[in-house]
Amino acid sequence: MGSSKIIYEKAGEALYSYEHPSGLKAFVIPRPGYLKKYAAFATNYGSIDNEFIIPGETDVTRVPDGIAHFLEHKLFEQKDGNVMEKFSRLGSNPNAYTSFNKTVYLFSCTDRFDENFRLLLDYVRNPYITPESVENEKGIIGQEILMYQDNPDWKVHFNLLKAMYEKHPVRIDIAGTIDSISRIDRETLYKCYNTFYHPSNMIVLAVGDVDPENVFRMVESTIPHNKPRAPVNRIYPEEKAAVHSEFIEERLAVSIPMFRIGHKGSFFGEKGIGLLMYEVAVKLALELLAGRSSELYEQLYGEGMINSSFGTDVSVEKQYAFSILGGESPDPLQVRDRFCRALEEAKKKGLDRSACERLIRAYRGRFMRQFNSVERIAHSFISVYFKGVSMFDYLDVYDKITFEYVNEVLHDHFKPESLAMSVIRPV
Amino acid sequence: METGFDAGRPVRVSSFNGIDVFMVNTDKFKTSSIHFFFQDNLARENVTKNALLPAVMRRGSMEHPTFRDISMELESLYGATFDCGVTKKGERHIIHFYTEFLSKQFVPDGTDIFAEALELLFGIITRPALADGSFREDYLAQEKENLRIRIEGRVNDKMSYSVERCMEEMCRNEPFEIYDYGFVEDLAPITADGLTAHYRTMLGTFPLQVYLVGSISDKEAEKVTGLLSGLARGDTVKLRESFTGKEKAEIRHVTETMDVTQGKLCLGCRTNTAPGSDDYPALMVYNGILGGGIHSKLFRNVREKASLAYYCYSMLEKFKGLMVISSGIDTGNRELALDIINMQLDDMSKGNISDYEMEATIKSMETGIKSLTDSQVNIVDFYLSQTIAGTDDDFGTLMEKIRKVTKDDVRAAAQRIVPDTVYFLTAESDDE
Repeated sequence: MGSSKIIYEKAGEALYSYEHPSGLKAFVIPRPGYLKKYAAFATNYGSIDNEFIIPGETDVTRVPDGIAHFLEHKLFEQKDGNVMEKFSRLGSNPNAYTSFNKTVYLFSCTDRFDENFRLLLDYVRNPYITPESVENEKGIIGQEILMYQDNPDWKVHFNLLKAMYEKHPVRIDIAGTIDSISRIDRETLYKCYNTFYHPSNMIVLAVGDVDPENVFRMVESTIPHNKPRAPVNRIYPEEKAAVHSEFIEERLAVSIPMFRIGHKGSFFGEKGIGLLMYEVAVKLALELLAGRSSELYEQLYGEGMINSSFGTDVSVEKQYAFSILGGESPDPLQVRDRFCRALEEAKKKGLDRSACERLIRAYRGRFMRQFNSVERIAHSFISVYFKGVSMFDYLDVYDKITFEYVNEVLHDHFKPESLAMSVIRPV
Repeated sequence: METGFDAGRPVRVSSFNGIDVFMVNTDKFKTSSIHFFFQDNLARENVTKNALLPAVMRRGSMEHPTFRDISMELESLYGATFDCGVTKKGERHIIHFYTEFLSKQFVPDGTDIFAEALELLFGIITRPALADGSFREDYLAQEKENLRIRIEGRVNDKMSYSVERCMEEMCRNEPFEIYDYGFVEDLAPITADGLTAHYRTMLGTFPLQVYLVGSISDKEAEKVTGLLSGLARGDTVKLRESFTGKEKAEIRHVTETMDVTQGKLCLGCRTNTAPGSDDYPALMVYNGILGGGIHSKLFRNVREKASLAYYCYSMLEKFKGLMVISSGIDTGNRELALDIINMQLDDMSKGNISDYEMEATIKSMETGIKSLTDSQVNIVDFYLSQTIAGTDDDFGTLMEKIRKVTKDDVRAAAQRIVPDTVYFLTAESDDE
């Protein structure tokens, strides 16, 4: 059984990996001394994958919005009952989440790792979905959707994506809508399952005080040795570079206006470390412009235009990229105008080189800090993995990224036509 | 024999003038941290000032007079973090300050990062940026406004808002009803001089606990003691106990309306089990079986069987002796949900507890307690809570007590539970 080990000396970390004959890839990041052990079984399939050609077919399949998330809920159901109960008996905490790009099944435990791990490998591969349980789940997910409708942070974020994107499914809520989930049935759930839950579209990861060889042996013996399958042909609509609409506003039961200012990136098609380099450059540019150590932050905070809820967020994927800043403000439009002014000025004068170097130093420390938590490690590893890179590549990026490149990205990413704003105002 | 609980009790490094310094020495983390907890009794006359203090203090110290200066210093220290704020544990009001930084073995350039981070934190706490001997007027005005926004912003998160409101309604006319961040109407009278005087009261008289966690040497711990012994301290504030029992109650129904899509239903109960009592572990198991996870009665019956909610759980407020059951439901389903919740409470009092529920709960609590040792913040919070509750458990002794709990103990805990208040946050158009 061929497995390999890479040591990252600077981080004091090691990554073990193994490829199963079926194409499934398995990874272990050991955490000696930690009591909590964490494992995840993840598929490269998320809420944006709602149009695709099933391998072996020629017609395009279009499925209802929210089905990846719905399937995530339904996989817990097994022929002999709910799998949560089995994990409970082992004293572990099972969970799952669906994002735009992936569905992740996981558990954390402190004891009986092997039994938990085998259970994870087993249940994700054995769906048991009945028409009755599909109907029952509509009630639960319906309440989940309604819960988010009352969550202003969630609303202001997703409204921004709706403003930025005209056609791309990243504009659609991950859980779908009450209407779209009403059209989900057993047959379509199985169709999605069979398309996207092939081992060659999935990875397994364990983090904690575990023996890598033992983990890989369990993967080797549990997963059938079928041949890898060709990738699924996923269809995403053509999306223009400019934003769909510049401004979106809604009223909710909040005490103060909330806002998000977003830039829609047009960085598509690149895979690998270039993607991370671009992401880090956008983060640096945004933090240099409006981060806590910036002049703009100090001014806006001092004037009461922003408060400590103000923050930034950057997402760079193969299919889409965006950067966001936002928080609460009595006058969100003024914050936008001031940000745009600072942006234009920085484009003329260039960013601050020494501040950029200081921030890269901070990023190294923040990167290291995430290794304190098995959940954070797993989360970071999986989010980066499906982009075709490893989270440890960030260390290379921090070594190689140049101030000149950050300035270049400043001009490339933050274009006036790619800016949109979302505001939630009090009722 | 208990194995695996290697993050043992903190070592008390020093104790003087109402100050206690504790150290948890461990190499398992990539970072180390320093935590300061000033404690006060929760009371109307101090709560707003206590909440305002860290907000103003985080704006600057003598050495780093602006928030921007502090941020730049943190970035230079390899992305160290600093934060501060207030919280309540029972009827204690706690003002905390902390910094977390890369442990020295991971710092590439030989910076004495412990010394620098301590200097920064200690500076913020003991040498705030002042003008003419008082807090800066501009900082005070801005932070009063931010605090007002914060207090009014409670409604933004409906889930936590409903739980807090339920507990407040239960504890009317008791100090516990006071919101951690204080009162908007108490902000206006606070002057720079008044807040500075209050700051000196905090620094000079509030009991202080300091925790050092991570790769910390004895010499470094001594340094902290040395700095603290230089503080001028007066008579230390006497802290009172929080726990209140209530053996009978007529259930009150409180309904609040807001522009919401989903209703939030909370049922608040008195536990009548003090945190220091021998019965407390049984109450913890009780809460676990009732609503502490996917194996619990509430999750299985309200969510999985009745399909009424996405979430339904119960939680304990240890110090005051409260339990709240919380769920997000359709606004029209209040009675149905309450019926199912009450059936679970009845089941618990009758001792209808399966072996599976008992075992899964204890195992899940064991996993939870062991997992606490993997986080610096959780280790510190656990031991701080022990001192506030007046108990002396570590992770291992607590687990042993939980393992000894029997179904009869749980049933006894159930019979002490007294439902007190039903709180419902619902839409305005609803005809309830």
